[in-house]
Amino acid sequence: MTQSVSTPEPVRTVRKVRKPSLGDRLAEQIPRLVVSPTLLIAVVFIYGFMLWTLVLSFSNSRILPSYGFIGLQNYERLFGNERWTVAITNLAIYGVLFVVICLAIGLLLAILLDQKIRAEGFLRTVYLYPMALSFIVTGTVWKWLLNPTVGIQRFVRELGFEDFRFDWLVNSDMSIYTIVIAAVWQSSGFVMALFLAGLRGVDDSIIKAAQIDGASRITIYTRIIIPSLRPVFFSAIIMLSHIAIKSFDLALALTGGGPGFSSDLPAIFMYQFSFTRGQMGVGAASAIIMLMGVMAILIPYLYSELRVKKDDR
Amino acid sequence: MANLHIDNVHKSFGDTHILKGINMDIADGEFIILVGPSGCGKSTLMNCIAGLEQATTGRIIIEDEDVTEAMPKDRDIAMVFQSYALYPNMNVWKNIAFGLEIRKMPKDEIASTVERVADLLQIRPLLKRKPSQLSGGQRQRVAMGRALARDPKIFLFDEPLSNLDAKLRVEMRTEIKKLHQRLKTTIVYVTHDQIEAMTLANRIAVMKDGMIQQFGSPQEVYDEPVNLFVAGFMGSPSMNFIRCKVMEHQGEAHIRMEVDGKDYNLPIPKQEQAVRQRIGQTVILGIRPEQITHVIPQQDAGPNMASVDGKIIVTEPTGADTLTLIRMNDQEVNCRVHPREAKEPGETMTFMINMDKAIFFDPETEDRII
Repeated sequence: MTQSVSTPEPVRTVRKVRKPSLGDRLAEQIPRLVVSPTLLIAVVFIYGFMLWTLVLSFSNSRILPSYGFIGLQNYERLFGNERWTVAITNLAIYGVLFVVICLAIGLLLAILLDQKIRAEGFLRTVYLYPMALSFIVTGTVWKWLLNPTVGIQRFVRELGFEDFRFDWLVNSDMSIYTIVIAAVWQSSGFVMALFLAGLRGVDDSIIKAAQIDGASRITIYTRIIIPSLRPVFFSAIIMLSHIAIKSFDLALALTGGGPGFSSDLPAIFMYQFSFTRGQMGVGAASAIIMLMGVMAILIPYLYSELRVKKDDR
Repeated sequence: MANLHIDNVHKSFGDTHILKGINMDIADGEFIILVGPSGCGKSTLMNCIAGLEQATTGRIIIEDEDVTEAMPKDRDIAMVFQSYALYPNMNVWKNIAFGLEIRKMPKDEIASTVERVADLLQIRPLLKRKPSQLSGGQRQRVAMGRALARDPKIFLFDEPLSNLDAKLRVEMRTEIKKLHQRLKTTIVYVTHDQIEAMTLANRIAVMKDGMIQQFGSPQEVYDEPVNLFVAGFMGSPSMNFIRCKVMEHQGEAHIRMEVDGKDYNLPIPKQEQAVRQRIGQTVILGIRPEQITHVIPQQDAGPNMASVDGKIIVTEPTGADTLTLIRMNDQEVNCRVHPREAKEPGETMTFMINMDKAIFFDPETEDRII
């Protein structure tokens, strides 16, 4: 047993540090002060306007906003409109082709660039460069290239192939595919960069192990490396599909939605109905449908991202 | 199971010569360890054996078959990597089965092999998990399982334990040794950890600058190092090297040693004839810490025993022994003393030196004097 001998505690003299001054307390708050205006702006101009659009989509607004409640009439008119059906179908064609082709080309380029080749840095920049252009520029350039009277068709004909036809831009059945071509040209370099980063993350010794296991180069890619890039596929698909849904400037610059409205996309439809044709209610309804489309893609993505973060802890 | 013959292998990348003529003869069932500091070429040699890199010149012969030009898959070897290199997208079962599937083994045979290996390594409950759901030690087992499943001629281990924590490393070390005793497959094992080398190997190849310095049994390498590098690399704490002079004293060659102002004449054992010839010359005395201890009464009478009084500079208790630093010939010397006998820093105690185990190096060539 230990015997506790009670000795009087020595009295300690403790000096007090002076209280933080106003300046110190202000300095502590600075991050919050700096962020708050941005937060306010975001809340008003993004979420506020989303809400306003939602309200307008249930109203009888024409050229100017008005607030007579008309229920779902705008949505009914929207889905009864042939032009909207064309726009939605076009978006489906364009979205699927754009995402799939971008992934295929991006992955192929990334794998080819990952073979420890010379001048990789230079080639990477070349492939990535289209991304630096705005969609308007891409659209304009491809408009000239695809124009039968000045572009590729004329060039090939001048080479001597008199019967060559490449008139998709002015063909109402094919015009949507020209948007796919231009968009793929612009975005596949970006997808390549994503995949390249993913490939760089693959441990070299995994490839060595597979070689010793007897796998051929193709088997190594198809059975080990590409499956292990699943998270990259996921991010790439998410980014590409929301680019696809929001596509507006490219289509406007390249085809202007034409010929007729054969290459209309929902964004063009929304713009024209809201601001040039004085049907703001229908336009707002189409905007809400697009928002729901984007959310349908983004929410599962955000959910899985946040959940993974938690698991990693 | 196979023998492995490495015949004058050179490897260079441009002007950098990584391997400078490696010759090794490895018998069937031997456990060979390649050890050396980083950058000595041990991993490159391993890759050359595996076929992941081509030897610039020289031959590699596995079971009397020249495989120098063969692809990795045609060499019938299996390799365990430092980072384990498990296929992240496959579960443990698939990881082990992958090599067998590629080799077109029938399905039922694959299943029975995977199960046999899983039982051997006690990873059966993990078979359905992905590598990311495994701990370091479990990954290590799976990586070994993948190698075992193939039943190759030769196992290659590339620093397999260096990513594990200290306790697990010791456990897996024992495990690997047991495995080898059971399977009796030829193993070539790369490590930079000299304790791993000592405990596991049948023979150790100590490498430096792309050359094998010494290739022999662990005890041989420990007791009879051929040069200063090998002597200093093997053993922890490492061997003491003390510059000293060979002097004649009472008609016999002795080592002149000054400890805290007092001169001693240390005997040179009979077997070191070459050193006895070098009277008047400087040599480097190599002596391991465990040969300098406190005075043990029954042992201090031998002909090659000497004792010196040294002032302790620092003590480092390790539990089993206390490492004690003293100065001899103005150079720091580590001694291994029983904890009960160790004195405090600043005090002087008598140390007993077993010169029977002393070895001598030439200060110029750094080779052992023979």
